[in-house]
Amino acid sequence: MLLYFALINIKIRFKGTKLGVAWTAIEPTLTFVLLFVVFTTIRDQPKENFGVYLLTGVIIYHVFTRGTLGGLTSLRSNYSILESINIQKEFFPVVATLATCILLIVQLAIFFGLMPFFQFIPTWTIILLPIVIGLLMLLILGFSYILSIIHVYVRDIQPLWGITVHALFFITPIIWYVDDIKGNDLGNVLMSLHAVNPIGQIVELAHNIVVFNTIPPLSDWLYTVTFCFAIFLFGYYVFHKFDSKIVEVL
Amino acid sequence: MNQYAIKLENINKSFDIEKSKNKSEFARLFSNKTKLSVLDNISLKIKKGEFIGIIGRNGSGKTTLLRVMSGIYTPDSGRIHIDGVVAPLLHIGTGFHKELNAKENIIMSGLLLGMKKSEIEQKVSDVIRYAELEKYSQMPLKHYSTGMRARLAFSLVLQIDPDILLVDEILSVGDKKFRDKSFKAFLSFKKKNKTVVLVTHNLGNQFLKMVDRAVLMDNGKIVLIGNPDEVVRKYTEYQDNKN
Repeated sequence: MLLYFALINIKIRFKGTKLGVAWTAIEPTLTFVLLFVVFTTIRDQPKENFGVYLLTGVIIYHVFTRGTLGGLTSLRSNYSILESINIQKEFFPVVATLATCILLIVQLAIFFGLMPFFQFIPTWTIILLPIVIGLLMLLILGFSYILSIIHVYVRDIQPLWGITVHALFFITPIIWYVDDIKGNDLGNVLMSLHAVNPIGQIVELAHNIVVFNTIPPLSDWLYTVTFCFAIFLFGYYVFHKFDSKIVEVL
Repeated sequence: MNQYAIKLENINKSFDIEKSKNKSEFARLFSNKTKLSVLDNISLKIKKGEFIGIIGRNGSGKTTLLRVMSGIYTPDSGRIHIDGVVAPLLHIGTGFHKELNAKENIIMSGLLLGMKKSEIEQKVSDVIRYAELEKYSQMPLKHYSTGMRARLAFSLVLQIDPDILLVDEILSVGDKKFRDKSFKAFLSFKKKNKTVVLVTHNLGNQFLKMVDRAVLMDNGKIVLIGNPDEVVRKYTEYQDNKN
């Protein structure tokens, strides 16, 4: 049932577009190409494997952005169902997250498909990638719980979240390297923000296992796992605290 | 065996409303709300196989009561006992998505109402045929008329074959042929000992002729429960007095 609704969710999401679900691949690919061209032009000597580094960050950021925005609107966009049938309200943020998970398969195909273009061969550490993806999905679901319930009461959260994810792009190590910013004042500010940016932590883990072929220390894993679970549990709590009045408020 | 399909005990329900209507959206967020009582200490027992008609003026609490029975609204206080599979038909296009076609909507709503996917897939063509929408089955529902959507919703609910059917006025939007068809469907429901709760404010509703008991509501309270003719007469007097 969840799978059927996730597929329907994807169909509705791309309804009316000429290229349909292909946008899932086109959007992050074009973002990546644009950033790659800009940064390889302004940097004299880009770091080794910069292309794969950038692509890893862009795809994770894109999945997070689209996933949370889909989760945010999941209750309001299904109002006609909610006002007609008695159903567990959390069904809709869960379905939106599952749809994001399915679309991730398309994006992973792009990711691995572009690796030969950069003459990059991942090492065995990439087998840890499913754990990182699992944490990403948990994080998206946690945010979807929080954002969807806020969206029921305050619609302004939608443009506000749009601005927030733009800001997240700059404080997430997508176009910059964690090692490069340490030591100066601006870098220290960025590092402080990075420390409380869950998507930044996930991107850093992914960079380590995909691009740098290293296994991050256990403390890094524990920090990110705790962070993601805390957001998920907080979201679950907030959602169930306010879900009984959803239909009335909508 | 439990003889009641629905038991409501001391149900209260109120909605938060703004004290002042002239505030901006932002100011409303932090403004004090006041409670508007829509269901006031409602107690009602409906036996299995009973056909109940609920009548009353607009805003008397009929639809809210039906939504509480179906579990869509949570009551502020009181207890609800439901025994059996419930199918609500509360508004036109029950749970339908306007961008999807009839088949997709049938599967989606069927799943939400508790059917298995394989089971619904077998019934899709029956639902479309009963609703007489064969020619339009591939068309997104946004192009359907109100009557066509009501036909599809009713046809789907019949195929689900629930123990309890909750219907809110929606059948009045169909044409005569559809209303006659619905009337026959309700008769077959009655024969199968199913429970039906029908909400209407139309006294000329032919469905009222087959109800076992009628309930008159006013201002969120049950004013009278009993013989349909007696309740309808009381309702007419009630309306005349109010006017």
